Amino acid sequence: MTGYALRRLGFSAFVLWGALTIVFVTVRVVPGDPALLILGADASPQQLSELRERFGLNQPLAVQYVDYLAHAVRLDFGSSVRLDSPAMQEVLNRLPATSQLAAISMLTALILSFPLGIAAALRHHSALDGSISLVSLMGQATPNFWLGIMFILLFARALRWLPSGGSGGWQNIVLPALTLALPLVGILTRLIRSGLLDTLAEDYIRTGRAKGLHPGSVLTRHALPNMLIPVITVVGLQLGQLLGGAVIVETVFSWPGVGRLLVDAISNRDYPLVQAAILLITTGFVLINLLVDLSYGYLDPRIRLQ
Amino acid sequence: MNERHIYARRRFLKTAGALLAAGSGASLLAACQSTAPSGSATAAPAAPAATTAPATAASKPVATTAPAAQPTSAAVAQPTAAPAVAAQARPPAGELKVVTPEKVVSLDVQGANSVDRSTHTYTRHVLEALVTRDPTNNQLVPELATQWTTPDPNTWIFTLRKGVKFQDGADFTSADVKASLERTIAQKGPVAPLFAAVDTVDASDPATVRIQTKSPVGTLLSGLSLVRIAPAAKLSADGFWNKPIGTAPFRVVSWQPDAQFQLEANPDYWGPPPGVKSLTFRDIPELAARVTAIDTGEIDLTFALPPDQIAGLQQNQNLKVDETKTFSYYFIWFNHSKAPFTDMRVRQALWYALDIDTIIKDLFSGIGQRAQAPIPSTVFGFAAQTPYAYDPAKAKQLLSDAGHPDGIDVDMIWNPGGGPQDRELAQALLSAWNQVGVRVKSREEERGIWLQDLLALNWDMDFQTNTVTTGDADFTLRRLYHSSAKRLGYANQDLDKILDDAVATLDQQQRQQLYAQANKIIWDNAVGIFPMELLTDWVQRKQLSGFIPPPNEIPNLAPVRVS
Repeated sequence: MTGYALRRLGFSAFVLWGALTIVFVTVRVVPGDPALLILGADASPQQLSELRERFGLNQPLAVQYVDYLAHAVRLDFGSSVRLDSPAMQEVLNRLPATSQLAAISMLTALILSFPLGIAAALRHHSALDGSISLVSLMGQATPNFWLGIMFILLFARALRWLPSGGSGGWQNIVLPALTLALPLVGILTRLIRSGLLDTLAEDYIRTGRAKGLHPGSVLTRHALPNMLIPVITVVGLQLGQLLGGAVIVETVFSWPGVGRLLVDAISNRDYPLVQAAILLITTGFVLINLLVDLSYGYLDPRIRLQ
Repeated sequence: MNERHIYARRRFLKTAGALLAAGSGASLLAACQSTAPSGSATAAPAAPAATTAPATAASKPVATTAPAAQPTSAAVAQPTAAPAVAAQARPPAGELKVVTPEKVVSLDVQGANSVDRSTHTYTRHVLEALVTRDPTNNQLVPELATQWTTPDPNTWIFTLRKGVKFQDGADFTSADVKASLERTIAQKGPVAPLFAAVDTVDASDPATVRIQTKSPVGTLLSGLSLVRIAPAAKLSADGFWNKPIGTAPFRVVSWQPDAQFQLEANPDYWGPPPGVKSLTFRDIPELAARVTAIDTGEIDLTFALPPDQIAGLQQNQNLKVDETKTFSYYFIWFNHSKAPFTDMRVRQALWYALDIDTIIKDLFSGIGQRAQAPIPSTVFGFAAQTPYAYDPAKAKQLLSDAGHPDGIDVDMIWNPGGGPQDRELAQALLSAWNQVGVRVKSREEERGIWLQDLLALNWDMDFQTNTVTTGDADFTLRRLYHSSAKRLGYANQDLDKILDDAVATLDQQQRQQLYAQANKIIWDNAVGIFPMELLTDWVQRKQLSGFIPPPNEIPNLAPVRVS
């Protein structure tokens, strides 16, 4: 198991380095000059070059890259060009709001999708199965910006049950969390249903039934654990995406998370902020994947022995 | 299924996912090409610097005294005398929640955001300037200065208001004015060019400030209305601009970017106390959410909503909707540095091809008004010109005369989200020009790219909104149309001289006459097309009283009361 964990860790470090490099190249390849965006159209060439110098943008790319990596390992991405404060600090300030929304959305999705998926699989080919499948397909296909605006118009404007956005109380998180959770419910319900159907057709399930096990015990002890691995994979990937900031949902609901910070940083060509945000998001992704990998080993002994 | 096979697939999925996360920056780059979050509508990026207003006090070059010289007449300094006096009788009470149309990126109003209307709206409630604009008549009136004189055209002496304290208890003195003005100049933000001619700022007497200029600056007062005064001892400190300290009726409780800016009444304010105890600016980027919030009463005031949203809100018995003229307008520029727009007949042809009245009626009902000059009618220096009537036959004739009987093929750059109904307007323009044989390729560009192309003159036409932030013609006309500006390849020595003379005189009547000539030259030569000036709608709850919507769209909420 230790060897397995070490291999996973090494691979994670490689992915982080790759991400840092991709981001470095991408932000510089995209046209648009950060100095010009800050100073505006009336700035003189001299003012522009002074500002570029202040942010080290006049250095050769290779020098910038080495400097960037050297600082990145110390988590120092320099000052945000636009906000004039440490870039990493700005991103970390937004992290609690984003994690809170991600966690609540994912919990909601899990709480809803397990009963739905199990019910659909157990009543295979029934009307219940049909309607659950249809609804989850719709949930998965509905664009969340549309869903978010519809929720605002319905629950905030017409019914006046909940605020239209903002952050603070529990009421504020209901609509954005639901908006993010519904597509997840769609994905997970379908995954649980099909995984469970596959598993229920296995020989050992029939054996369990044949030897007189309680049907509930067959489900919880034998069927569910064996279909969890694909579910955990998808949950990990989706959670990683949620931590990257749900840009559109954050904008629709005025949620002060990492996603909006990142989009603004990109529009302003705020290189330090973009790099810090992407590193944090990638780290989150890599950590979650690491946990997912390690959980495979826990769930399925065959994997950790490979 | 085969376990080993599944595992390989999972492994691929995970690796792909991690790389996707990294790549999400790249895809966001593409995705947000059309969002242009900051600095949208008016306070545009490109628009910068300096303005001058119908400075009442400055109109007589020598020894002018502003009305509110006596400390006791503090209420007079508040242009809106009635609400100000009423507010004096009553301590601040209640809560006011406001949403501005653009996101505020930073509270540092002395730097890159120094001409942004939403940044000024936030900060004016914490930090004051020497002079401010009376929202009722757009005149410049005293704020932290009580009077000023110009013993000679290069010397300005401001007498500062006595007994004013910053919110941290420190006394307000001339050193603070000097430090704030010098920092504003050093930051080189878009407002800094307004003070290019400032030579020295002398603060040897704590109660007066003496500004010496290298050449006369007719726009100095309107420029100073955008310089907010912060304490000299702190304004460069780390983190100061995340919780700035000023002399205004409110002080900062907290600022959470992308969420809210929370203020409370300043109990030690030198003037009449503000109407409310708590003032909150919320950030609501999504239009449907903002309209919902004002409709349901989550917020009390917002402005600059598109006209199709206003009709619904007018049905709401709890709301009041006002429309006011602004300092903002649409223009279409021609690139004068290359054919075909070097020929005035071609430029005029494109103007005659537009049925502007119909476009306004169909797309800008209530928020647009036909322009009569290259600057809006609210701005000092405006002079009405003869409109170009809709005449497609004449347009074709002019094109034919210019040697283009088969029409022309050109392109037009624009940055979506830069103004209300911009996409609809762009489509209307393109289709009108197409009717007279002008085939225009629309180049819709993300802000950073658009700005680069604009300055590189990499375009035939440019279409955008602009704001005369200072309310003075100089800010727009000299900054954009002087040949040294090199903004659209236009060079006219007569115009250069008029614009140079106009900024270098303190006699406001003479300035007005010079700008009248400048308006005419730009209009008659069709340097650009000036289809319309923009109005703004202000939506407030009926429980509010004392609010006066200003043309510069930097509202003062201090007199507002909530019942």
